[in-house]
Amino acid sequence: MPNKQSKTKLFILILLPIITILTGCEFKDIDKNVFVSMIGIDKSDDEDKPYKITLKLYVPTSSFKQSPKPEYAYITQNGETLTEAIRLMESYSDKELEFGHSKLIVIGEDLLAEKANEIMDFLLRRPDIQMISWVAVGRPSAEEVVKMVPQGENAAYPALFNYFDDIGTESQFIVTTYLFDLRRRLKEDGIDPVLPIIEVKKKESHFKVNKSMVLVDKKEPYELSSLYTQTFNILSMNAPIADLIIKEEGEYFNARVDSMESKYRVNVKDNNKIELEVDVSLIGYISESKNPLKTQDLAYYSKLMEKEAKEKFTEFFEEMIHIGYDPIGFGLDYKSRTLHNRRMSSEEWEEAYKNAGINMTINAELKSTGSIK
Amino acid sequence: MLLSETINWVNEQFKNTNELVHKNLEYENKHILLFYLKSLINSEMLQQLIIKPFFEMSSEEQFKIYLQALPQFQEVTSKEQIPLEMMNGNILVKIHNELYLLDFRLANNDKVNQTSVETTIHGSQLALSDNLMTNINVIRSNYHQASLTVEYLVKGEVNQHKVAIIYDKDKVKSDVLDTIRKRLQNVDKQLITSTTQLNNFINDKRFSLFPQMIMTERPDRIVYNLGGGKVILLVDGNPQSMATPVVFFDFMTTIEDNYHTLFISLFLKILRYAGLLLSLLLPALYVGVTSFTPEVFRTELALTVAGSRVGVPFSSFIEVLFMLFFMELLLEASIRLPKAVSATATTVGGLILGTAVTEASLASNIMVIIVSAVAISTFVIPVNEMAFSIRVVRLLLILITSIFGLAGLILSFFALIMHLVNLDSFGEPYLKLYTLAKDKKSSEGKS
Repeated sequence: MPNKQSKTKLFILILLPIITILTGCEFKDIDKNVFVSMIGIDKSDDEDKPYKITLKLYVPTSSFKQSPKPEYAYITQNGETLTEAIRLMESYSDKELEFGHSKLIVIGEDLLAEKANEIMDFLLRRPDIQMISWVAVGRPSAEEVVKMVPQGENAAYPALFNYFDDIGTESQFIVTTYLFDLRRRLKEDGIDPVLPIIEVKKKESHFKVNKSMVLVDKKEPYELSSLYTQTFNILSMNAPIADLIIKEEGEYFNARVDSMESKYRVNVKDNNKIELEVDVSLIGYISESKNPLKTQDLAYYSKLMEKEAKEKFTEFFEEMIHIGYDPIGFGLDYKSRTLHNRRMSSEEWEEAYKNAGINMTINAELKSTGSIK
Repeated sequence: MLLSETINWVNEQFKNTNELVHKNLEYENKHILLFYLKSLINSEMLQQLIIKPFFEMSSEEQFKIYLQALPQFQEVTSKEQIPLEMMNGNILVKIHNELYLLDFRLANNDKVNQTSVETTIHGSQLALSDNLMTNINVIRSNYHQASLTVEYLVKGEVNQHKVAIIYDKDKVKSDVLDTIRKRLQNVDKQLITSTTQLNNFINDKRFSLFPQMIMTERPDRIVYNLGGGKVILLVDGNPQSMATPVVFFDFMTTIEDNYHTLFISLFLKILRYAGLLLSLLLPALYVGVTSFTPEVFRTELALTVAGSRVGVPFSSFIEVLFMLFFMELLLEASIRLPKAVSATATTVGGLILGTAVTEASLASNIMVIIVSAVAISTFVIPVNEMAFSIRVVRLLLILITSIFGLAGLILSFFALIMHLVNLDSFGEPYLKLYTLAKDKKSSEGKS
């Protein structure tokens, strides 16, 4: 009759050999790792090895007070596949390459059009690449973006991260796209991913991030100008604050929108006709004006703003409809609210989208003229 | 039994000591015999209450009645009782063919101490004394209930110490009391010198990491525990008491919590639990994160840690164990050292060793910060016994984490919680949040 004590002994006896079989993660001291800060993926000149990977590596220091200048090391390697390139790179470094801290993936403009899906596969399969990394397009090439250290950069936190992390700059021209989101939008019909474009200003030694690129599978990427990028940011509620210039009926002023809300809906009509319903509400104040403004006329200024915004937004939508790209996700909205057996085929949808009408309502509200009397 | 036979037997018992005084008083028609151990007797009282009246009283009969009226008077019930009581400071009086015992104990240890272990800002600064009777006096004068019951036992085969079980008869759970009584009966030890020994003696388990009773020296805590239905154990000659059954959360409360306003005591409690978790998990977390999953850190921190480890010859877990070892040595040393030296020792050990170790790059800067943070947060745990347990558990966690990484840390923390859930203190679940259940019960009793 086994009593409690002998049961415990038996349990321990069985447990011990099992524990020795178990393996945990690999024990590796932190100073034997080298942390990758950014990954740049380009198209190489070599036909056989089409990928060119550039890694930016942190050089660890014990005290940032003693060495406030950023220090990085770079490795570049061509490879037939991305994995091959990385494996070759590991032989260049005395320490283990650790991708866990890489926050940004820059994809060269040339490569993007052709191999977006292939790159995605590698980035998603490798476990230590974080799904919350930002993805951006590098212009002229990813390598140049990765290798540039702008003036005034802090040690251990590359300036480029500040563009995307919502802690540093909060510009209305910057689109932030995460890896998981990029993947989702690429695979999903009815919504297309938008990637920010990072341009290198070599002479002034800084970056410029105010354009973006709409990516569609098997189609040429479409570049959004700064104005369109801003419009996209307002409509997708990405930007926390936006400025609108209003030039109507002799008034010329700047509205700073600090609260915006937009809703979209696809209304299906007969014969596969659709209408895009967009409902935007903008609340803000006037930040700059050429002419003196009166507080009692705020309602009138709001009307002007509505008119101006409507023009701008309609132009953006018309352009998108014209080329048949859908960064806002009307197709997804349609699919989500229609039963699958009543749904149009994707060809029909594309046709319908190209001929869609736009029904835009804008509700603008200016709270103040911005001056204190 | 014959009186002379008994006296001879008592004399026989004390034949190896030369302290037994045998006094024969005879005056006019009165005659008494006194036996006592000189060193245990308050001779002033003896002079005042026995010898002087003896010569003043007119008859032996009157003196006998006088003796019986004395508050120190005690009837003799058995032969065996006599030597025991004499060793406790009683005088054996033979008068009129009868034997009486009179308690003239001389107690030099009945002064109440200052609190030294559980110091507080608010509340009484006085603790218990070394004298059992004084202690019971202190408790009784703080807890005015007729239901307060004191039971005495004599434990320790050699030194025959008095053990008191104190409880409030209305509030105590009878099965808990029975268990304690039964286990105390079974204690079969040569020497009992401290109350805290009982923690081991009346605990059924051979290996126990967590204390099953809570040690306290504060009368207000004793009263608080009595009011909560706990049983208090006291041993003569000891300024500490043990309260049982306990739950884990008892060890995380100070009596001062009741003296502060709500938000302040809430804040202090949060602080304390944060300290507990920190002292338990921080070193293991360091090992797990630096050596297995550096992604968890912020980038800057990861780089700083990596940079500060440059040149350190040991792996992270050896580094942690190495520094913790010195910290534990320092803690131990500062307990044992005389008060005058201990401040110097801490300074030398803490400050100089800490700086020198990083200078010599035997450990990273971050490690020194972690070890000191752990040391400080260990002191936040209010009851000393729990702090000792946590120190041991911490080492186990480090050990498991250095083999299995962060997953191991989480699992071993689960295992710790499972162990605590499995534990019980005299039939009461160890991890019970008892306040709610108690309230319910007391309201039931009222209705």
